Amino acid sequence: MNELCKKIRSEILSISHESGHGHIPTSFSIVEMLCAVYQTMRHDPKRPDMPDRDLFVLSKGHASLGFYCVLAGHGYFDFEDVHAFGAFDSKFGCHPDRLKVPGVEASTGSLGHGIGLAVGMALAAKIADSSRHVYTLIGDGESNEGTVWEAIMVATNLKLDNLTVLYDHNHSQGRCLPIQNPAERFRAFGCQVIETDGHDLEALKQALATPTERDRVRVVVGDTVKGYGCATLAENMYEWHRRSPKAEELNKLMGELNAAAV
Amino acid sequence: MRPQFKATVTELAAQDERIVIVLGDVSVYMFKDFSERYPKRFYNMGICENTLISVTAGLSSQGYHPFVHTICPFLTERSVEQIKVDMCYNNFAGNIVTCGATFDYAWDGATHHAYTELAILRMLPNMEVLHLGSNREVDALIRTQYNNSHPTYFRLSDHPHAIETNLEFGKGTLLKNEGAPVTVMTAGPILGNVMEACRDLPVNLVYFHTLKPIDKALIERFRDTEILVVHDAYGLHEAIAEVPALRMHYHGLPDAFCGWYGTVHDIRKRIGLDPAGIRAAAQALLARRQSPAVRPLARTGSER
Repeated sequence: MNELCKKIRSEILSISHESGHGHIPTSFSIVEMLCAVYQTMRHDPKRPDMPDRDLFVLSKGHASLGFYCVLAGHGYFDFEDVHAFGAFDSKFGCHPDRLKVPGVEASTGSLGHGIGLAVGMALAAKIADSSRHVYTLIGDGESNEGTVWEAIMVATNLKLDNLTVLYDHNHSQGRCLPIQNPAERFRAFGCQVIETDGHDLEALKQALATPTERDRVRVVVGDTVKGYGCATLAENMYEWHRRSPKAEELNKLMGELNAAAV
Repeated sequence: MRPQFKATVTELAAQDERIVIVLGDVSVYMFKDFSERYPKRFYNMGICENTLISVTAGLSSQGYHPFVHTICPFLTERSVEQIKVDMCYNNFAGNIVTCGATFDYAWDGATHHAYTELAILRMLPNMEVLHLGSNREVDALIRTQYNNSHPTYFRLSDHPHAIETNLEFGKGTLLKNEGAPVTVMTAGPILGNVMEACRDLPVNLVYFHTLKPIDKALIERFRDTEILVVHDAYGLHEAIAEVPALRMHYHGLPDAFCGWYGTVHDIRKRIGLDPAGIRAAAQALLARRQSPAVRPLARTGSER
């Protein structure tokens, strides 16, 4: 595991323990994908409103804790700030608010909305003849929402080759409405699809560095493990979906995380 | 009103490169010249109203002034959450313009009726809600409201009135002040019927095109009268009720789907929103006003 990704996961565990709020497994599954985006896109953490920056929208907003820690890990603010996660007057809610957190481009939380916003942002860049690229990350559970597929249809029809959709294939919908062969589905919709290990940071960065095919929306399907890095979480993802660890559980999870090879 | 909408927006687009049109496969032919003049700013995007709203919010986030337009219940009632979250909560502006007001598509049945969206959108923080009644209002209020920081809802109809009204955003119009004990308050295209009904009745008549923000000062002037709200949608009654402790009565939609076909005029007649029905409601209130204890009227217009 990449050292920064391990640090981010460690902070996620600590903050979840302190705050009593959860969504740890879904945050763990996207750490490498988000790090790859923030290590590839054009941005400046000291100037989050830089006019020609690329944009990222976390469509699965319930992974906000992972998102905040990735932003902290890339210099937007201190990890310490995020320890107020979910508190009454905190900037850092359990779903991200663009008006409160530097680097958050859209307030999300209701599934299936962020991708449509990202399509609008990418279309705006096209109208303006801007070289801006727009990234959005969607979940496999989120992709039960019909609006995800509406947005993909619209984006492909508009030939938005400045849009990259990262698909967190963490298999969380296995008990409900699983989406089999997501890569095949995105191809059927006309997207350029890159499949990769969603926890291999270098492979993800390579995927994002791959030039987009002209006129095609790029989709990176990251094969991920919900709770990646802690066996307890990965093997009990449903139990841990919203849970926050107690002190002894935190020690156990930290031990499992620390045992992961860097 | 749609041709006026198109004419106004096309004229504005010549001066403002940030105007973008997003259609849900409605009014496409009407916008043909716009699409030819400004192809990069015209998108007949698809029959996917939820996504039309999200994309509109995304365009707004990048500094554009989008107009998203299609049939009323599908763009609004179907997409309430996209309007709430993507536009209002995110504070991304943009303009929602609908056709098919209330019973404009009467022949299509209740799937195409619009009863609730004015009332719903009025409750969303940041929204501006306009129930436009005339072409002059369409032209004037699009010009003043399209590029501000609020999401704005413009409800158009195929049956406008031609009455001169105050064209200022947020202001109502006092059309008749008789010093009467009964004040009729209405909004939108049904003003034509209301005017005809009340022309020679001893009632005051107040009209609104802006339901949010409602002109509370104008309402306050009539707080000592019995107020009869006449409206072919939900929203105005609730807006007027923002002013506390009024003596209000409602003459409008029944608590039922108006499941007939025909025309808007047929349905209005059936539920008492034709001139005769409105006149009868006003006369009933006037008659009750003569008695010492005036109680609210029973909900009218509810027969099926």
